[in-house]
Amino acid sequence: MAISTQLLKKVLQVPIFAGLSPTEGGEFLEVALELVEPKGTVLFQEGEPGDALVLILEGEVAISRKGVQLARLSGGSVVGEMSLLDEASPRSATATAISETRFLKVPSRWVQKLLRADNVAALKVVANLAKVMSKRLLAINEKLVVALEHRDQKTELADFSQILTRWEF
Amino acid sequence: MTSAEAALHYFKKAARIMDVGERIETLLATPLREVSVQVSIELDNGEIRTFRGYRVQHDNARGPMKGGLRYHPEVDREEVGALAGLMTWKTAVVNLPYGGAKGGIAVDPAMLSLKELERLTRKFVDQIQDIIGPNRDIPGPDMSTNPQVMAWIMDQYSRYHGHSPAVVTGKPIELYGSRGREAATARGLLYVCREILRDVGMPMAGTRFAIAGFGNVGSHAARLMAADGGLVVAVCDVHGGVENPQGLDVQALIEHVKRTGTVKGFGGGTSCAIDDVLVCDCDVLIPAAVGGVLTREVASEVRARIVLEGANGPSTPQADEVFEQRGVLVVPDILANAGGVTVSYFEWVQNLQHVTWDEEHVNAELERMMKDAYEKVGQISRSRNLALRTSAYVLAIGRVGKATVLRGI
Repeated sequence: MAISTQLLKKVLQVPIFAGLSPTEGGEFLEVALELVEPKGTVLFQEGEPGDALVLILEGEVAISRKGVQLARLSGGSVVGEMSLLDEASPRSATATAISETRFLKVPSRWVQKLLRADNVAALKVVANLAKVMSKRLLAINEKLVVALEHRDQKTELADFSQILTRWEF
Repeated sequence: MTSAEAALHYFKKAARIMDVGERIETLLATPLREVSVQVSIELDNGEIRTFRGYRVQHDNARGPMKGGLRYHPEVDREEVGALAGLMTWKTAVVNLPYGGAKGGIAVDPAMLSLKELERLTRKFVDQIQDIIGPNRDIPGPDMSTNPQVMAWIMDQYSRYHGHSPAVVTGKPIELYGSRGREAATARGLLYVCREILRDVGMPMAGTRFAIAGFGNVGSHAARLMAADGGLVVAVCDVHGGVENPQGLDVQALIEHVKRTGTVKGFGGGTSCAIDDVLVCDCDVLIPAAVGGVLTREVASEVRARIVLEGANGPSTPQADEVFEQRGVLVVPDILANAGGVTVSYFEWVQNLQHVTWDEEHVNAELERMMKDAYEKVGQISRSRNLALRTSAYVLAIGRVGKATVLRGI
């Protein structure tokens, strides 16, 4: 299914499609499905096999893991991109539409096929993806350091405080 | 093991029973600040002498730090550090709003003239005046430092910071000192002794005391126990001992000491060796001299039912275990001899408020605080089946710990 030129132009603004020519974009999105789902629809579920990349065009999607909401994403955001790198890996989080959502779905198998053929569009997307992931990893590492330091102090002092309550002073 | 190391040992024992964990243990044991300074003076003959002075501030979670200043040739930073820790626990046991500190100069004061001693003291204050203060760290008397030394400290500090009597305690009565300060440690022993005798069901009248050490603490303790109906059956000092199973005439003994400088040769009893006093037939033994006199061997021969630690660290940890096994009740130094620092606290309070308490008021307040401390330590001892010493450290760690947690790290 081909997508309109206008939509393609918009999609190419998204960071993971940076550097793709309209032709390359067209190639990459050749089999993409454009879908609209009502509010409350689960786009994919944590733990199920990741079979597609989702590009949100309009609306808002909540990303949650073990019932904890991690993020709210809107138009121009990409979710499920990890499935492009490893077809077999399960979804690490659940994506739920929190408003009516229009999105593009690119099957992982299609991307894998392009990659096997050394398709330039697919390689560019993967390279962009690596950049995005590395930025995210850095941010997560920062958060982790803060969280670990925080946890060590908080727990040790709180543990001590707890011990003190067991004695009558 | 020095008495300073013993104090650290007792702290660790209590910390482990409470299971506070290694990091909290380290946090509580590590001194806040250790200062080592040069104290150089010109002697009367024009020679220059350089001494080392120390001030260790151990913990300030519960308030300004408090602790004595000692002049002794063997003073070193490690010992001063451990003694500073002991002050943190002692002030916490009696619930004074203080943390612990200690200081000293490695000097033999007997080798110095009065003028040299004054120069030494003032020079030391010059070196530490920026870290002490009425709301920071308040020195007091200790080994070989007396009210005159405290007066010099107050005067020298005031030259830098303006009139500040509350910077130091143990001052002469005529210069912002407190009534009741001189006998305070012995009086604290008396109040604690009354409590423990009541607990074990013994009346003070007729209770037999042996007192090892006849300086400020020992002599006042003998006087106060005798005045309260006790029998002082044996005493000693560095020169020797004297005993009388029927009870020594304490007033006559004190006069003998005033005349001769020692208890040795007192006519109202028979001479004995120093060690004989520690193991004589008595009900309450008061070690009131140097640390470490009660070793494992001596402890196994002690005949007293109660050991009241007038001195700091008189029992080695091995002796402490022997006492525990034998069921000898040990009232630990950090509780028993806390009367001294408690009245120092009263002196500080009077100085800050520009008031003077009469001696009855000082003694009544001291009695209340010593009783409260004994009661709290006793509660922990009974409910957890712990020795009084461990219970006292538990109480101290608990109070310092709570303040630390509330302030945050």
